[in-house]
Amino acid sequence: MAATRALDASNRTLRSGFLDSHEHYPDHIAVEVAGEALTYAQLHDQAAALAATLDRHAPRGAGDEDGAGLTAIFGQRSVAACVGILGALFRGDGYVPLNPSFPIERTRNMLERAGARALIIDASGESHLEGVLEGLPSGLVLFFPERTSLEGLERFAADHTLVPGSEFACASEWEPQPVDPNEIAYLLFTSGSTGVPKGVMVAHRNVTAFLDAMRERYAVGPNDRLSQTFELTFDLSVFDLFLAWESGARVCIPSQAQKMLPAKYIQESGLTLWFSVPSTALLMSKLRMLKPDRYPSLRWSLFCGEALPADIVESWTQAAPNAICENLYGPTELTIACTLYRWDPHRSREQCEKGLVPIGEPYPGMEVLVANESLEPVAAGETGELLMTGPQLTPGYWKDPSKTAEAFVVPPGEDRTFYRTGDRVRRATSERPMVYLGRVDNQVKVQGYRVELGEVEAIIREEASVEAAIALGWPETAAGADSILVFISDERADLVDVIARAKGRLPAYMAPREVRHIDQFPLNSNGKIDRGALRALLLAEG
Amino acid sequence: MDEKQLREALREWILERSSAPPAALSDDQQPILDEGLLSSLDVVEFILFIEDLRDEEVDIEAIEPEVFNNIDSLMTAFFPAAKKEAAA
Repeated sequence: MAATRALDASNRTLRSGFLDSHEHYPDHIAVEVAGEALTYAQLHDQAAALAATLDRHAPRGAGDEDGAGLTAIFGQRSVAACVGILGALFRGDGYVPLNPSFPIERTRNMLERAGARALIIDASGESHLEGVLEGLPSGLVLFFPERTSLEGLERFAADHTLVPGSEFACASEWEPQPVDPNEIAYLLFTSGSTGVPKGVMVAHRNVTAFLDAMRERYAVGPNDRLSQTFELTFDLSVFDLFLAWESGARVCIPSQAQKMLPAKYIQESGLTLWFSVPSTALLMSKLRMLKPDRYPSLRWSLFCGEALPADIVESWTQAAPNAICENLYGPTELTIACTLYRWDPHRSREQCEKGLVPIGEPYPGMEVLVANESLEPVAAGETGELLMTGPQLTPGYWKDPSKTAEAFVVPPGEDRTFYRTGDRVRRATSERPMVYLGRVDNQVKVQGYRVELGEVEAIIREEASVEAAIALGWPETAAGADSILVFISDERADLVDVIARAKGRLPAYMAPREVRHIDQFPLNSNGKIDRGALRALLLAEG
Repeated sequence: MDEKQLREALREWILERSSAPPAALSDDQQPILDEGLLSSLDVVEFILFIEDLRDEEVDIEAIEPEVFNNIDSLMTAFFPAAKKEAAA
């Protein structure tokens, strides 16, 4: 077998930690998906075989176009998708996760924009493949790790190269090549305000800086079992997969059915580290799953992705009495999470604002700037927009210099680039940690997913053929919102039809659950539609 | 409600929530989760809807994930009395 010794610390990339763990714990379980388990040795060999196969069928070379260093993963939380991610990283590519549950047109757009020529496809991706490939240029290389034949896929063979798992190379054929830590580790598309998703480029050096901070803090070891409930298109999945794999731990991925009942999943998997959006904890609370002492195996309970209500933490800490609870905060552009706050049952309540847990201190090496509209610092205790910089600051948006220039800025008096998070916070004082207060723009979190309301509105305007559509996160929850509600003014539109067509173009969490007519939009003093008045209208309904 | 009405109520709720056409759930063995007709985003409201139909709380700790597989498994888990009546 080829040497797999990890590169030295200064050249660490996202694959390095897995390779170290494979060397030290080859017989430990690396991943368990709904009962199917693979050891580090098995997962390594499958990924190495895929990397060698990628080199054979989709070689990289001089004159490659931009997307040549990217491999797309079209799948859900499957073993094949894990093999795909690691296989791409082993061969030195960044990976681009694509979600089969997303509307086909959206996925095709992402694939086209990423320019990836190689796709790893699992069973869930296979059933949506035809629509995604329609209209794309020929010459893609499609890999099917779970397949032993190409039966039923013949229709794709005329335009593309197809490779089933049974024809993959041997793991020993993989020849590791050095990878530049400045290259892209993964490219994630997030909701974009103008109707088109933005691709966030995350470099290896960004994500290894993040993982270094996490590994030191949580001291995860080979006996730990980590949850992984996120879609691969959600960057919180990187935390679960790679923190486990850097540490020789087991990552436990639930089936769709297990995800419906998180309590059983925690108990039966014997999880020691739980990581979810607060909405999952809210869901568990509503379903009476946070009874005292239910989850004694947990030693860490971590929440990220949206505002964390103190009430939920109090219930959670009773249900998981042996766990330390922390609130993590961060946008994808700052690599998963970049500040954190540890819950202290004796003093945290009084540090909360509006019942929300503080977002706390920046990670090692990360710096905070809380600024006014001119991007000048505000005084301690004052509110402003949060900007951050440091080793987790990503290079910007894929092939979109204008959006990159808008969000990645050099504030007055600074010589470094900061990312404008768009989040409104209260700057920390010596007594009170930093607190998240809301957005400065029209972004909301729906059950933890980031949604630019402008993107929803653009789709509704098209589908309902109306000039104005205003989307709100509604009903609101303590953490964010449960779903999206849209107001339109044209009463001729068939609302049921508009919702159905929006669902064909937007992921489920972004599609409106309700569209309403409104005779006339309320306007503010500047003559703009008054979103606050629309929200007040909904609140008045009770 | 009798068994037939309960099955219809479950089917309608799932189809409405997913905006799927009736053909997407044409029989009661059709997978609900694999086809994306129901997801964890819907689980709270779905359980509350089932509790309304039953007129009593669901013992959430007693159910297995597999109950969400299809309409048949939902009926067996949440409305066993209706199934028995129909069989009698």
